Amino acid sequence: MKFQVKFVIFKISIFLTLVPKILVGVIVVNGKIEVEHLSKTFKKGNVQAVKDVSFTVEDGEFFAFLGPNGAGKSTTVQILTTLINATGGKATVAGHDVIREPEKVRRYIGVALQETGVDPDLTGRELIELQASIFGFSKVDAKTRAEELLNIVQLTDSAERRIGNYSGGMRRRLDLALTLVNEPKILFLDEPTTGLDPSNRMAIWKELRRLNEENGTTIFLTTQYLEEADSLAHRISIINDGEIVATGTPRELKAQIGNDLIALTFSTKEEEEKAERILKEHMNSGDVILQNRKLTVYVEDGTKQLLELVRLLDQENIEVATVNLSSPTLDDIFLKITSEQVEKEGEVHGE
Amino acid sequence: MGNSVWKDTWLITLRSVKTTLRNPFSFIPNLMISAFFLLVYEGGLSGISQLPMFEGANYLAFILPVSIVSAAIGGAGGAGQGIVKDIENGFFSRLLLTPASRLAIVLGPIIAGMLQLFIQTLLIIGIAFLLGLEVETGFGGILFVLLIAIGWGLAFAGYSAGVALRTKNAQAAQAGTFIFFPLIFLSTTFVPYELIEAQWLKVAATINPTTYIFESMRTVLIDGWIFWDLMQGVIAIVIACTITITFAAISAKKAVSRG
Ligand SMILES: Nc1ncnc2c1ncn2[C@@H]1O[C@H](COP(=O)(O)OP(=O)(O)O)[C@@H](O)[C@H]1O
Ligand SMILES: [Mg+2]
Repeated sequence: MKFQVKFVIFKISIFLTLVPKILVGVIVVNGKIEVEHLSKTFKKGNVQAVKDVSFTVEDGEFFAFLGPNGAGKSTTVQILTTLINATGGKATVAGHDVIREPEKVRRYIGVALQETGVDPDLTGRELIELQASIFGFSKVDAKTRAEELLNIVQLTDSAERRIGNYSGGMRRRLDLALTLVNEPKILFLDEPTTGLDPSNRMAIWKELRRLNEENGTTIFLTTQYLEEADSLAHRISIINDGEIVATGTPRELKAQIGNDLIALTFSTKEEEEKAERILKEHMNSGDVILQNRKLTVYVEDGTKQLLELVRLLDQENIEVATVNLSSPTLDDIFLKITSEQVEKEGEVHGE
Repeated sequence: MGNSVWKDTWLITLRSVKTTLRNPFSFIPNLMISAFFLLVYEGGLSGISQLPMFEGANYLAFILPVSIVSAAIGGAGGAGQGIVKDIENGFFSRLLLTPASRLAIVLGPIIAGMLQLFIQTLLIIGIAFLLGLEVETGFGGILFVLLIAIGWGLAFAGYSAGVALRTKNAQAAQAGTFIFFPLIFLSTTFVPYELIEAQWLKVAATINPTTYIFESMRTVLIDGWIFWDLMQGVIAIVIACTITITFAAISAKKAVSRG
């Protein structure tokens, strides 16, 4: 009898110690990011870096935050990764509130900030092993993980060298390896390819695609390069001056902007203004922007419409000085979106 | 996943020790300056100790505390420099992004600085013995001197870490260290209190806590276990540590907070 009771207790206690482990295995962490009305005002200089930003990134999605310098990208990343607190709004990362449960958030995310965070006096291998140990890996596991990651970012040959002697591209790759140590559900990458040469950029792109496709890692990437967001992301939000000004798939955004861009210049101011008036009548007025003595026209099919436009202006006796056909850059997108906003606000004020 | 505070502190301290050892120029100059005090003053000025005020004590035992305090300041300053270095190269943020204990992140470089101080002090005492140091109170006295050095170093480490965490700037942290060096000299550095002639220096020496550190070390090295003379140093340390460690803790809290 006594023995049986003991045995049952023994079994229960084994069961109880296993429960948490089973649960951890079963409860799959959802790599979702939910942001509602997020704001951040820096006391210093009273800068409103992020203004009422809301968006959702689904589990497994590759999401890009596209915006120029000073748009508020890094500030958003720092809030979502628990480094700084927002001054307004709410954000949930991997199911946990970034303000109330930062410790839990930190377990499930990997972060590469805009400035790499490495100790130049350690070797690449030592640093990855240290990072793994901090995440609770045993010595043996940390070594194995370091070997794997060095392989992935192709730094095995330089693993025993001090990081102080690494090139910028190598540091970036090492930084990426560090963010992967804990097999994060969500990766935050703040301008991971800015300033890199094409081969390092390609290596990082390739690895990010692999992580997203094979491991289902959610990726939140910020960039100033339209072509980077275009080629990597499922969905893009364009941020300017702390506000999201457009969101969509690359295809949707391009459709909104127009596939091609025709830039016209004229020798006189009168011709410029006349051409602007005519083209605005002829097509969607939001697609025609006159700025800095350059008339920019957003069109669906550049080669076809270029001739049309020039012919139209010719009929009105306007002489075109130069013509340039190109794909829109980030600057063009901003020009278009901000001019649309100004127009909309003008309408509101006009009523 | 995640470790105890102890494990985190151990890992981060180990890392700081490693980086210190890999930058010998971060401690060798200070160590040399400290040894220099012993050699030069022992070589050139030891005649002073023939003066009646010294009562025949050997000048080596008299000057040793100066050398030790100088080494302690240099070693403890390493704590602040380690932290600034981490902040400047972004590693501090990288650590903040992990589940590592916030305490461990700040404590690691401070403990490493204290270890540096401890070893430097041992080396200085070793050199003094090679030069013929004799200690009135023997081994116990040496332990007491070590303890005082560590205590004073801790006060200074708190100060240097506080400045580092507040300014996040290497130059500022360095400048913060330099204001401590005058403290060494505005004291009973080279002659006993009774022999100081300038009135202003007497006043400075009275206010300067370093004086009490020197005096308690000298008492134990030269005179013996004189309780109240020893307590002066201990009290100076307790007061200084309370102030600087509070300062460090507040600065650290601010640096790891997310305001
Ligand atoms: N710590 C700070 N204190 C004060 N202002 C800041 C701070 N960090 C960023 N800012 C300001 O907030 C704005 C957004 O900056 P940031 O988020 O770094 O933009 P991005 O990463 O898109 O270039 C900028 O005007 C910048 O000057
Ligand atoms: Mg940025």
